[in-house]
Amino acid sequence: MRRSPDGAAVETSGLSKRYGRTVALEDVALQVPEGSFYVLVGENGAGKSSLLEILMNLERAQSGTATILGLDSVEQGARARAQVGYIPEHHRQLPRWMKCGDLLRHVARYHPAWDEAYADQLVDRFGLKLDRRAGSQSKGEARRLQFALALAHRPPLLLLDEPTDGLDPLIRSRTMSLLVEHLADSPTTVLVSTHRVQELDSLADHIGVLQEGRLVAQMSRDDLLRTVRRYRLEVPEGWQPPPDLRAAEQWRASTGRAMQATLIGEEEVVVARVTASDATVVDTTTLSLEEAAVALLAEAAR
Amino acid sequence: MSGFRHNSAPATRAVLREQIRAVRVENVRIALVVAGLLLFFIGLVVDEVILEGGDFPFHPEHWVLPAMAGLLLPFALWRGEERRGAGFFWSLPVDRRQHALLRVAAGWVWLMVVVAVFVLALLALTLVSGGQILGERTLRLLTLPLETPGGPLPPGGVREVPWTMTPLLWLAPFTGATGAYLVVSTLALGLKRPLRWLAGTFVLMLLIAVTGDFANSRRVAQVPARLLDAVMNGRWGWDALITARTESLKTEGLLPTGESVVVWRALPDLGDWAIATALWIGLGLVAVWLAASRHRENRGA
Repeated sequence: MRRSPDGAAVETSGLSKRYGRTVALEDVALQVPEGSFYVLVGENGAGKSSLLEILMNLERAQSGTATILGLDSVEQGARARAQVGYIPEHHRQLPRWMKCGDLLRHVARYHPAWDEAYADQLVDRFGLKLDRRAGSQSKGEARRLQFALALAHRPPLLLLDEPTDGLDPLIRSRTMSLLVEHLADSPTTVLVSTHRVQELDSLADHIGVLQEGRLVAQMSRDDLLRTVRRYRLEVPEGWQPPPDLRAAEQWRASTGRAMQATLIGEEEVVVARVTASDATVVDTTTLSLEEAAVALLAEAAR
Repeated sequence: MSGFRHNSAPATRAVLREQIRAVRVENVRIALVVAGLLLFFIGLVVDEVILEGGDFPFHPEHWVLPAMAGLLLPFALWRGEERRGAGFFWSLPVDRRQHALLRVAAGWVWLMVVVAVFVLALLALTLVSGGQILGERTLRLLTLPLETPGGPLPPGGVREVPWTMTPLLWLAPFTGATGAYLVVSTLALGLKRPLRWLAGTFVLMLLIAVTGDFANSRRVAQVPARLLDAVMNGRWGWDALITARTESLKTEGLLPTGESVVVWRALPDLGDWAIATALWIGLGLVAVWLAASRHRENRGA
């Protein structure tokens, strides 16, 4: 596993969490470099939400440590949360009895760095209805409110758990544009868990893959796209793939004696192994971020 | 540590101020209902007592109502809040235990406002109706035990004694409501399912009583009743906290004429009230602190 250099904005070590007999996280060592846009991918129940909740000290880990911008998430929990704009997985976590306007004022009092003018701008851009009670909002409206609450104090770290879940395509696109503008204006580290990697393709520069509670891969975008590629091979009759080739999927027969698969590893190493098995690499294709992430997930699941 | 840019966390005083505001904002509807009930009560007193030419007494027996407010407020305060797990409240940048205690304190501030309004309303009703606030009352004091509550009074067993409510007992609605509020806040904050615990305790008491009956053990069968009596009507029990025992010391008896009258087993004692208040509020504070500690930053997984 590749590690980022020192100065990680978010860092966990040996983090483990169980709910009864179910393992949510196991020995997770996350490294989110400062200023990066880190996308955490994984299947449902892989432990993504648990990881973010532990960082916020909303859940406690059985073992391990977590730091946010150098602050221990348990021992310095309050100060650590002051650095975070957090969007939880569920939109229902807002205080149901407060009107949106009151809720914005409420959260503002908790964040001395709250930018009133920016908050007004976000309210306007998200089309929030300030006189509506938070509990009577639709999922999409609640999500937009959560975005405004998370961004308006310009936190150095954003923890976003499935942030576009529940947003219709138009609002989703508008929200992503706002996020891009926010990142351009405010130096922010982002850790986002999502199923929709393609939405974040243009933003993501680091990726982590969680598989059944284990962080099976963690690398920069460049490393990912360089080391996870689709290969088309010309193979001899009766060819069997060598066991030291890390394939993310079943080999598929292409035309004639051609076969193709997504392989993981440095290109020169993969090519050397293919050649040593009497096959020839015809060409290689760079994958999209989502395809590469899915390939890593698939390989971890095999 | 590193050279990371850090945003500052809010000051404790700012959080308390905001919690006081938030409790008001969140409970406007409930406050309107309470105000409506108070107006209804005042209307009832005006209609039933004052317009009939009577006077409205300013007695500690009325302090049960503020205590009821203290019992119910914690449920209003924490309703909809995910007290366990990843609730919104806990995601705010304040030490978790301190935050819980500040919310309890904010609720208490409003409770005291409600109680003050109630006491002032009673005072106004008493003054308007020509009643006495610190006037002397004549109480019938039992000097011999009453065989059966509500039964005939023992001959020569009752004497009339003057009793004046000391102004110190004006604190009772505030302290009583505070004690009640702390007890229920402990349940609301410390237990995941407080109503289940209450139901479970009730079932346990019932089981003890039934088991005692089956085993023909009167002592065991009466344990729940005795326990309840001690907690509610004991010298430093619940009633001592709420009404300075003006409820539990009262009973009814029949005069030789057949008229049913209120008689007192003993006179309310200021010392007992003070001890009960110190005991319930002291234990309540410790219990709330322990309940809030279940949410502390460095809690168990």
